[in-house]
Amino acid sequence: MTDKGINEDAVEVRKHQKVTSRNDVFADKITTRIWEEVPSQSNPYIASDNRCHGYDLIELMQQKTYVDMFYLLFRGNLPSLDERELLEQLMIGLINPGPRHPATRAAMNAGVGKSDPQNILPISLTIMGGEYLGAGAVEGAMRFMRKHRKENPVKTADVMLTELVEQRPKEGDWHIAPGFGSHFGGVDLMPSKLAAVLAKLPASGLMLDWGMAFSSALNKEEMGWLTVGVAAAVFADLGFHPRYGAGLFQLLCAPGLLAHGMEQANKPITAMPFVSDKSYVIDYE
Amino acid sequence: MSSIMNNPDTSLWDKQRNKIISKKGGWFVGDGVYCHGYDMMNELVGKVSYMQVVMLNVTGQLPERRVADWFEAVHICLSWPDSRIWCNHIGALGGTMRASVVASTVAGVLATDSRSYGIKPLKEGVAFIQAAVIALKDGLSVEEIVVNECEKHGGKPYIMGYARPIAKGDERVPAMELVAKNLGFSVGEHLKLAYEIDRTLLAQFNEGMNINGYMSAFLSDLNFTSEEVYRICATLVASGVSACYVDMRDRLAETFLPLKCDDIDFQGKPHRKL
Repeated sequence: MTDKGINEDAVEVRKHQKVTSRNDVFADKITTRIWEEVPSQSNPYIASDNRCHGYDLIELMQQKTYVDMFYLLFRGNLPSLDERELLEQLMIGLINPGPRHPATRAAMNAGVGKSDPQNILPISLTIMGGEYLGAGAVEGAMRFMRKHRKENPVKTADVMLTELVEQRPKEGDWHIAPGFGSHFGGVDLMPSKLAAVLAKLPASGLMLDWGMAFSSALNKEEMGWLTVGVAAAVFADLGFHPRYGAGLFQLLCAPGLLAHGMEQANKPITAMPFVSDKSYVIDYE
Repeated sequence: MSSIMNNPDTSLWDKQRNKIISKKGGWFVGDGVYCHGYDMMNELVGKVSYMQVVMLNVTGQLPERRVADWFEAVHICLSWPDSRIWCNHIGALGGTMRASVVASTVAGVLATDSRSYGIKPLKEGVAFIQAAVIALKDGLSVEEIVVNECEKHGGKPYIMGYARPIAKGDERVPAMELVAKNLGFSVGEHLKLAYEIDRTLLAQFNEGMNINGYMSAFLSDLNFTSEEVYRICATLVASGVSACYVDMRDRLAETFLPLKCDDIDFQGKPHRKL
């Protein structure tokens, strides 16, 4: 033995533990609180009725909006008119990340490359899962705002701007907090516009209000709302748990990704730029 | 909302527009294909193993053949054709509903970005053993390292790389030890410490080192970082997922673990009217 307790002979004398089952008790059945499928009388594999949180699907189709249904699916109850309005306006605001967004470009690349159409959405949503301005940033933004919601947002911004100044990158954008920062060197205007509209709605809550003030306090340093921050604030105000944030963001952005991907799908492969050899530089350093 | 833009500096992005600067390599039509300074067709194809090129692409360095062979062996160790395993299950579901083998395999691989199994925990395993070796050099005993780590988990032996879920013991460890021995690798400081942690945990909790712990220590002795290990192993489970996909793709559709309506235990709200 060494003075650090290392047994130099350990390798040689070591016996391998016999592999045995822990006999974990796994569930007999999948359980769910979301969806009930009532078996038909003649075939137990065929459902005669489907219910979402107790409501009949056919009745929901006939009497409710898609946004009502969306909210019900995740939250377990139908939204109020105000909640529906807030969610619907966010869904419109996020419906298309736009043709410059890396996730959309992945969709377009798959489209023009003639990838199977059913793969376009998974491809682009995988890229949209990124932690930089993608779905991977939403949970963190929700948790950040929840953690600081009782603080004065202007003071919090000033403290962070002072205490974190050393962390500001010498080049590139600075996301001073999850959901907030600069984009291409300045304040991203569209998320700020979205947030301003959403914050005036009756169902807007503490997170949007807090984020509005925090964002404004960052403007002097060319930072503000990022799209993922706006989405996070609305999700939090509507009562969604932070772990739902990533997937919800992907869902809301999905239509634009698919639309742009399919737009390219019938075009020749030359319809999108292919960087010339002259502009493709190998620099191993 | 401020609408004032104080002439932000966009030069970082301006100089990257319509231009790719690769640190990896590229294809120049009529000239050749290059990879980290190697002419791929003349210097790599047929001369080095596939796994060596995988590692070259990730690390920028062409490794010794035996290191790549060890990595190839661990890919076999960590991907089995058992469709109960979570990532493989996804592949089987893809087969039963006639998704493509590419989509299904990629979906299974994607599942291994998981907090509880697959590739991502390797990052934590490597980080743990490297920190533990530093702690040992700083004067902590093996027992203290174990106690400190267990304290983070309520005194339970939940150390990444040890105390495997589902089963006790790990048949993959002796298999990889034999591979390492046959390839001529010796035991370095990380693996020595890992064995001591294993011994301590066995004595205190009847829990031992699993393949994550072995891999993490072995690769730390070869100076791999946690991120390099994660990147090299990105598609670690692909073959097992493909196997389970094929198994179900070649049978009648929707016959993989079919469920009757009553096989789902609905625990939600009873039927209610709008």
